Amino acid sequence: MMNQRPPRFNAHLLQGQSKIPIEAQYASRFSLLIRFFNGFPSDQAAEFNKIVFQQNGDKIEMGPCEYIVEPHDQHFQGRLVFNQAVYDLNSLFFKDKLEKLQGEFSNLPLILAHKSKIKAAFKEFTANLTYDLTIYKNIFDSLDARFADEPAPIKHKVQTAIIETEGRKFMRFLDQKLDEFENLIINYSRKDHERHGFYLRKQLWHFLMCAPFMARTNLKPRGYSGDSVMMKMLYDNRYEGDSTFARLMHKHPNEHPAAQAVRNRRQLISEMLGHLKSGRPPSSGNKLRVLSVACGPAFELQDVLTSAEDCAKFHFTLLDQDKSALSEAASLLARLEKKYGAEVEVDLLNESVRTMLTTPKLDTMWGKFDYIYSMGLFDYLTPPVAKAVLTKLFQILRPGGEMVIGNFHISNPSRFYMEYWLDWVLYYRTEQEFIDLLKNVTSAESRVLFEDTGSQMFLHVRNTER
Amino acid sequence: MKKSIEFNIKPDWDEIEKVRNESAEFLQSHDLSDDTIHSLSMIISELIENGIKYGDFKMVADKVVVVINLERNTVTIEVFNPVDESALKHLSRLDRTIQWIRGYQDPFEAYINRIKEVSQKPLQDNESGIGLVRIAYEGNALLDFFVGDNNLLNVSVVSNLDGDDRNPS
Repeated sequence: MMNQRPPRFNAHLLQGQSKIPIEAQYASRFSLLIRFFNGFPSDQAAEFNKIVFQQNGDKIEMGPCEYIVEPHDQHFQGRLVFNQAVYDLNSLFFKDKLEKLQGEFSNLPLILAHKSKIKAAFKEFTANLTYDLTIYKNIFDSLDARFADEPAPIKHKVQTAIIETEGRKFMRFLDQKLDEFENLIINYSRKDHERHGFYLRKQLWHFLMCAPFMARTNLKPRGYSGDSVMMKMLYDNRYEGDSTFARLMHKHPNEHPAAQAVRNRRQLISEMLGHLKSGRPPSSGNKLRVLSVACGPAFELQDVLTSAEDCAKFHFTLLDQDKSALSEAASLLARLEKKYGAEVEVDLLNESVRTMLTTPKLDTMWGKFDYIYSMGLFDYLTPPVAKAVLTKLFQILRPGGEMVIGNFHISNPSRFYMEYWLDWVLYYRTEQEFIDLLKNVTSAESRVLFEDTGSQMFLHVRNTER
Repeated sequence: MKKSIEFNIKPDWDEIEKVRNESAEFLQSHDLSDDTIHSLSMIISELIENGIKYGDFKMVADKVVVVINLERNTVTIEVFNPVDESALKHLSRLDRTIQWIRGYQDPFEAYINRIKEVSQKPLQDNESGIGLVRIAYEGNALLDFFVGDNNLLNVSVVSNLDGDDRNPS
């Protein structure tokens, strides 16, 4: 936006019945630079009813406003600022929206009223939790201040010592609070969960925002949950953040069973692909064709491709709706190619699974695959869409080929922690519901597996056609 | 008692009321509460309206198909209609909007954000998307979609039935 030339235009100001012609230019988010064409004493501050001008064919009227003399500008004589409704000129000139700063208050009654159905016990729990977290944060922050001026290696050692002692005790406190919380909400309906989750996040907002992982899951900067940055945080499972308290708040959800399940599934896929490559020598000529659906940054490939021989065995097709994730996957493959001095055959497809099904004859365009896997996708697909996607994927599986699809199980012990604290909602399934997604496909042999935490299941499908 | 009902309708606004009434009767026969039937009827109307508005009905045989399927704990409503190639680019926006709505645990949050955006008066006449947010919030339902073979768009909602969604037996 800042690279664009500031819009300059002719307008007029209304003062009583007078219409005063001016030239104006965007100056800042909340001010315009102006120059009077004629007859107005430009060295005196003044108030106007409104400014009127045309933008892209629309008549814009904003006011009341005030003129502030700014004598140093070569061309303009001063600035115009709004003194009641404050208009956001970034929105107007760069997003084509007439937005008032006070618009943030437009839903205030609705939001305030939303707490009316919060149960008293939950309010009490949240108030106590907020108090406790404030105390913990204050203490950790005061310790941070005491070693802030130490040299970096000393600072690191001191912070590590605090994390390993009092920090771990704080993590256990969080575990206990989560147990209490789970007992409190055990009989809530779905509507109760939604409403109480909203309330909890509003109360804990500044605690959540200090932890990089919690901030990202709540804010969803790429518009969806589970983006590649969140995945990397889960895989890294480190203490991250600007303060000791932030680091602990970041680490806690990363140690929960669902996070471990994500790390486990990466290992599982690596093992399955490893098994596949060892079963097929490269001398057979044809490469193993592998499709990863909603591939994300495809970190698992660095576990699978560990030599030049490995690189020669596979042809990968990586599909994702997120261009940034695909670009990260491409960079990873480029690094592996450099490391092993070998080329990896790969097709990158920037597609959404919801619209990819329109592609006529997907098998002609993409070919058929020996192995298809999708780990973090079906958790977001409702049954009608999940059935359609799975059936289509099965159609591009070679006879004898295998497909592994992940989905968190309905009993995921991190479910309410994720929903309430992280604003991360998944579509959970039972084993039977998962298997039923393929019940109309006759040549599929299916079974459900679990990773070690039992949070996540995998639908393993084999195409029994000959 | 049958668990599902299907309607094949012409892309005609007058058909909406008919489907709305017949589906309400069907849901009533399964002892769903008046509030739940009201919410589901709103969803059915919104989805059919969108189907008629954005569908491509070149052939006489091109219809809007509505399927309502009732399970013990869920109601699934699917609306199918053909779309032409030009609609496909709008589907990316639909995709983003649905993921954005479903990114909130409480659809109320999507609702208030969308209301705020609409109140910010876009100068160009963009679609508000408020109908989809109403489905999620007022209809308490999960939205999803896909485009299948022959450019047939399927927009669906899955609504969980809690205890108070049914009349006491």
